[in-house]
Amino acid sequence: MWRYIIRRIVLQGIPVLLGFTFLLYLIITIAPGSPVTHLRGVPDLDTAVIAQREAQLGVDQPFLVQYVRWLGDIVRGDLGLSFDSARRPVATLIKERMPATIILSLSSIVLGWGIGIPVGILSARYQYSIFDYVITFFAFVGISIPSFFFGLVLLYVFALTLNVLPAGGFFMAGEPHTFLGYVRYLLLPAMTLGLSSIASVARYMRSSLLEVLNEDYLRTARSKGLRENIVIYKHALRNALLPILTLMGFMLPTIFSGAVIVENIFTWPGLGSLAIQALNERNYPVIMGINLMFAVLIFLGSIIADVSYAFADPRIRYE
Amino acid sequence: MRKQLVLVLLIVLSLSVLVAAQEVPTQGGTFRYGTTINPRGMFNPILYTEQYDAYVIDVVYDGLIQIDANLQPQPKVAKAWEISEDGLEITFYLHEGIKFHDGVELTAKDVAYTYRTILHPEYTGVRYGTFNMLVGAQEYKEGKATDVPGIEVIDDYTIKFSTTRPHAPLLSSFGYGILPSHLLEHIPVGELETADFNLHPIGSGPFKFVEFLTDQHVTFEANEEYFFGRPNIDTLVYQKVSQDTIPIFLQQNRIDFIEISPEQYLQVSDMNHIDIYVYEALSYSYIAFNLRQERFNDVAVRQAITYGFDRQLYVDVIREGFGIVANAPMPTASWAFTDEGIDTYDYDPERASKMLAEAGWTPGSDGILQKNGERLEFEFLVPDGSRLTEQMALLFQQNMEDIGIKVNLMFMEFSAAVDRVDAREFDIFTMSWSLAVDPDPYGIWHSTSLWNDPGYNNPESDRLIELGRQETDMEKRKEIYAEWQRVINYDLPSMFLNYGVTIGAINKRVQGIDTEPGPYGPLVGRQLLEKVWLKD
Repeated sequence: MWRYIIRRIVLQGIPVLLGFTFLLYLIITIAPGSPVTHLRGVPDLDTAVIAQREAQLGVDQPFLVQYVRWLGDIVRGDLGLSFDSARRPVATLIKERMPATIILSLSSIVLGWGIGIPVGILSARYQYSIFDYVITFFAFVGISIPSFFFGLVLLYVFALTLNVLPAGGFFMAGEPHTFLGYVRYLLLPAMTLGLSSIASVARYMRSSLLEVLNEDYLRTARSKGLRENIVIYKHALRNALLPILTLMGFMLPTIFSGAVIVENIFTWPGLGSLAIQALNERNYPVIMGINLMFAVLIFLGSIIADVSYAFADPRIRYE
Repeated sequence: MRKQLVLVLLIVLSLSVLVAAQEVPTQGGTFRYGTTINPRGMFNPILYTEQYDAYVIDVVYDGLIQIDANLQPQPKVAKAWEISEDGLEITFYLHEGIKFHDGVELTAKDVAYTYRTILHPEYTGVRYGTFNMLVGAQEYKEGKATDVPGIEVIDDYTIKFSTTRPHAPLLSSFGYGILPSHLLEHIPVGELETADFNLHPIGSGPFKFVEFLTDQHVTFEANEEYFFGRPNIDTLVYQKVSQDTIPIFLQQNRIDFIEISPEQYLQVSDMNHIDIYVYEALSYSYIAFNLRQERFNDVAVRQAITYGFDRQLYVDVIREGFGIVANAPMPTASWAFTDEGIDTYDYDPERASKMLAEAGWTPGSDGILQKNGERLEFEFLVPDGSRLTEQMALLFQQNMEDIGIKVNLMFMEFSAAVDRVDAREFDIFTMSWSLAVDPDPYGIWHSTSLWNDPGYNNPESDRLIELGRQETDMEKRKEIYAEWQRVINYDLPSMFLNYGVTIGAINKRVQGIDTEPGPYGPLVGRQLLEKVWLKD
């Protein structure tokens, strides 16, 4: 098992990450726009200052030189300094915002999977019942509504009209730091982000369970007189959960990218606004840092999904 | 007689009670100032470039002078100043006893440190050009001298700046916050940029910096020892708010002040506890012509296009009245603005067509004007992201079609658009400028200037611009700029669209604001934060 994991990381992970960062750096340097665009309009600025700034940032160099320099820093564990006027370390910028993004993503995962899986099971258990139809209907609605729209609807109802939940932020300066206080701020963004995963997890769970329910071994189980509940919850469920595990690995990146939009609406101090701002300003080190981190996360996510497969399914062995 | 006197006295007394009841400010409370972008963490007055960092700097530091609501310099750390007869020397006299937040006294040495650092060869910021006319600045910058003779500390409370030529805009540039030299002079200038000080600023201003939480808020506490009197509020918070949720934050009393967009005006104006102020801004929007192209080099074409675009409709309908049609690049908010002798180019498509015909443009078989085989068809570069700008572009396209001009819209992300403008690869484009306090148009409109994107080059305009920045008498300067506005109003190197207005929403509990705000709004930028008080 460990040999497998190490082999995946060395033989697959490193080349993939190298290729990914190379392409990304190439794309962002080719893209029109420059990291010194924000100097436009600075009074009495002369061209020498712009050139000096470009030299300081190293963006006067050709792409390959810039990339190799960046890579050299990464190997030494240094993500570089942000290009904006404050020149703060990229690692710090990410570290400051990471907790908020993780809290939001995790709670939306818990919400999405915690609600999605049972709903999907019930929906399959009572296939073609009214409950099933209602769930199917709402699942499609949930998948189709863009998260920013759902977020605005929630804001309108719970913050503006009912005035029971805050309209955004992590907490207000001066408020006491209580668990409940944090939950109040978390609720709306987590629901917004969780909605689409509730819907898709429920749909996947339902179809996966239905597929298993037609298998021969379940017919055998039924024919030996087991009660339907035992058939489903003991024999079918474990097998039906297998594909869902893979799904989890794949959904991780969508949840993070969905968080970008939701964070912006709810003034959530996560990586989202940093990422968007960095893109608009052509802040290369920040764009690279955030994307590298996500790439690593996604790669780890896929390894975890594969490994958990082996735990859940005794037929699968990694050598 | 006596009775009457008593009566008068009584009235006077009761009046003064009334006045007193209104004017005794309550101490305490938290003022929350909403911003849509959080600062970056460069809280150093000579190094920052982002406006939101300036918000922090505004309240933590004090400058030699400060700019008042009428855009005039007023004493602050300097209690007075003196400009020599020839306009080459400015001497500032500092208040005695002003203290930085760490208790050390602010003296002329700190002022000298602040401005000398800007001229230092290793200085990484962008302000050198603002002070390069100081005597010896260039030699110092190039490393040929070890000091700047143009910055002279006379004694602890007197400092003299001398320039190589008279430079009128200079005085209003002395508002930069004064740095505590005792905390910084040991750091090499090249490394100031990454100094921890920038995240934990210490100045001499009305508020002490407490905490900066990325993308959430910045908090400050009142400076108890503030030289000009302790602020009435105890705590100041810059609260980050997403654009979408501004009205809800106002509704929930989570912010006391924020600038809102025209789209939000209606929604917010329904709120009983919020006052809204609309004030003229120091900004203008424009459509720039690329004068390097022959067709746009003809003033008749530029004027005709301007006559052919219904800018009043654009301001009234698309901007819902939030704006003022502009005819020169000098906002109404500026003291140098004039409308005397300024052509307003009122919408007149017939006149536009006539002018184009006189200039030799005749309709082709497809109805598009042409001259010597060249069609009057061009690309309009429009930065995306603003609904108002996009609608303006559509209206322009339609208006131009009516007079036989074909406009192809090219929407582009802002940075990419700036790239095209910098490379001069455009036919026409639209953007806007926010201007500094001083009306000097050199940086944007002088023929040699970096930001002269249209490529405007009229010797008469250059002459007036140069004259204007050398003239230190304000009334004479005003005359020069009036003349310059008439020149550029005729030339129209860009079509001027509108002067900006700002909409400020403020909670009614906030007292002591400027209720007839100038371009800086009801809080005069951030200046009145040290004076406002909260009624509960």
